[in-house]
Amino acid sequence: MTRDLTVGQFIPGHSLMHRLDPRTKLMLTFLFIIQVFLTKSALSLLFLLLLLWIYIVCAQVPAQKVFRAVRPIIPVIIVTALLNIFYVSGHVLWHYAFLRITDQGLFTGFTLLVRLITLIAGCSLITYTTSLNALASGLEQLLAPLKRLHFPVNELSMTLSITLRFLPTLAEELDRIIEAQKARGAQFGTGTILNRIRAFFPVILPLFMSAFRRAFELTNAIECRCYHGGEGRTKLHPLKLRRLDYAAVIFFLAAFAMTLIFNGIRQPF
Amino acid sequence: MALIELKNINYCYSLGTAFEKHALRDVSMAVDAGESVGLIGHTGSGKSTLIRHFNGLLRPNSGQVLYQGNDLWKKPNEIRSIRFQIGLVFQYPETQIFEETVGKDIAYGPRNMGLDQEEINARIRESLQCVGLDKSYLERNPFRLSGGEMRRVAIAGVLAMRPKVLILDEPAAGLDPEGRHALFDALHQYRRKSGAAVVLVSHSMEDIADFVDRVVVLDQGSVALDGPVASIFAQAEKLVSIGLDIPQSTKVLLGLKAKGYSVKTAAYTVEQAERELLCFLKEADRP
Ligand SMILES: Nc1ncnc2c1ncn2[C@@H]1O[C@H](COP(=O)(O)OP(=O)(O)O)[C@@H](O)[C@H]1O
Ligand SMILES: [Mg+2]
Repeated sequence: MTRDLTVGQFIPGHSLMHRLDPRTKLMLTFLFIIQVFLTKSALSLLFLLLLLWIYIVCAQVPAQKVFRAVRPIIPVIIVTALLNIFYVSGHVLWHYAFLRITDQGLFTGFTLLVRLITLIAGCSLITYTTSLNALASGLEQLLAPLKRLHFPVNELSMTLSITLRFLPTLAEELDRIIEAQKARGAQFGTGTILNRIRAFFPVILPLFMSAFRRAFELTNAIECRCYHGGEGRTKLHPLKLRRLDYAAVIFFLAAFAMTLIFNGIRQPF
Repeated sequence: MALIELKNINYCYSLGTAFEKHALRDVSMAVDAGESVGLIGHTGSGKSTLIRHFNGLLRPNSGQVLYQGNDLWKKPNEIRSIRFQIGLVFQYPETQIFEETVGKDIAYGPRNMGLDQEEINARIRESLQCVGLDKSYLERNPFRLSGGEMRRVAIAGVLAMRPKVLILDEPAAGLDPEGRHALFDALHQYRRKSGAAVVLVSHSMEDIADFVDRVVVLDQGSVALDGPVASIFAQAEKLVSIGLDIPQSTKVLLGLKAKGYSVKTAAYTVEQAERELLCFLKEADRP
């Protein structure tokens, strides 16, 4: 059960989106977020939906999975949209007591709804198409310039990759220990609060023991290999920008420009 | 009626995701009271997955688990009480030890059963003695013991529940010969005293040849063979094709037979093979 959480949402594949360099994907995701926030007019909203559709197709992720990522925050989105509907001024279409619905409010609320859904759906694509390790290594490279400011980028990324590497291992271990204690009659989530907390000791303690054991083993292994931090280290799989990455950047920038243009065109609202 | 019976079990890990793994396919097997069964299979054949079904830790996607004729999953709230009767010793059980003294750790199971202190103390002493450790261990810190001793303490923790069925997942893995002997002695002793059924999981025939009466062979999540030890070892070729080893002593006899000597090959312990060879030599001496 925990294993399903820790592999993240990554779906292995070979789509266009999968083949992009993680750095490109991180930067483009950032660009996409800004683009969503700048989307104002009905025309650019339509354009945004078209883009989302194109990206989903390029990622070859089932659309239903993408919208599953949106589902948990739908209540938040709806509440936000409703607030907007009632608070924005404009031509009054309907009113009751202090509640008023205006044409502007309706439009703003609807726009917000679409924009937020697009935002979450779009951002979920990067997690569906990029493994956690690739993300970590992309992030490391993007942060590399900060080394000049004595920011410990290498140490940070080493810690990050070790954490990511061992999350599934520890999760598996946790499953195993829980099962082993259940086999000896452990009960979780019943009884008084004190009992519930007490029930977790037989699980947490062995988990810590094993985490420490692994940490010591890993330290020894790292020292035996004479690891000495980032200076002069090369990578087994160096990240390389390819033509596909440049093409993607150009496409995203063009799309960004289109949004700005569509925003400017005079429209009924 | 069998004590535990699995009927047409199917089980998938991560069902419905990209990492779906069909680990058990239509597995049926039974364990009778007092019987000792070996569960053998290549690494990844589904042995550990299968034994988690015996005491309701995993719920099969389809199929039934019957304990004393009752479907385990008909009354899920009663599974916990059944777990006290079906003792499950996981692989590397020493990693689940958490108390500061050996005695306290062994007491965890009996305490969960709700027994009174006197009964718990009696069971601690009994199971500690069963695994061949003396009373001086009671107050010792389990994390300062040797690997073999820690494992025996962990097994004692399960024995203290006095299960009617004892299931052990690769109990000898990573032990030195001395630790192995002590472990199997303990298992023999528990069986003799309690008459419990034992299911012994292993990927090595040699480990369990002299302990079990019956062998179930798993291959890629399905039962490939099921029968008395002798009849299973007689199918050496099939075992080898599944990626399993046969005991050295059986190999010697099979080799002799392949060279045209008329030896019987149904021997799987060193003693049996010795007898077989002596018998053969005597006959060969005769004019
Ligand atoms: N928690 C899990 N999640 C997904 N797959 C698993 C999990 N545990 C085991 N498996 C897979 O199920 C198969 C059977 O594993 P297992 O029962 O541990 O085999 P064995 O004990 O015979 O070595 C293997 O292919 C293994 O990779
Ligand atoms: Mg196993």
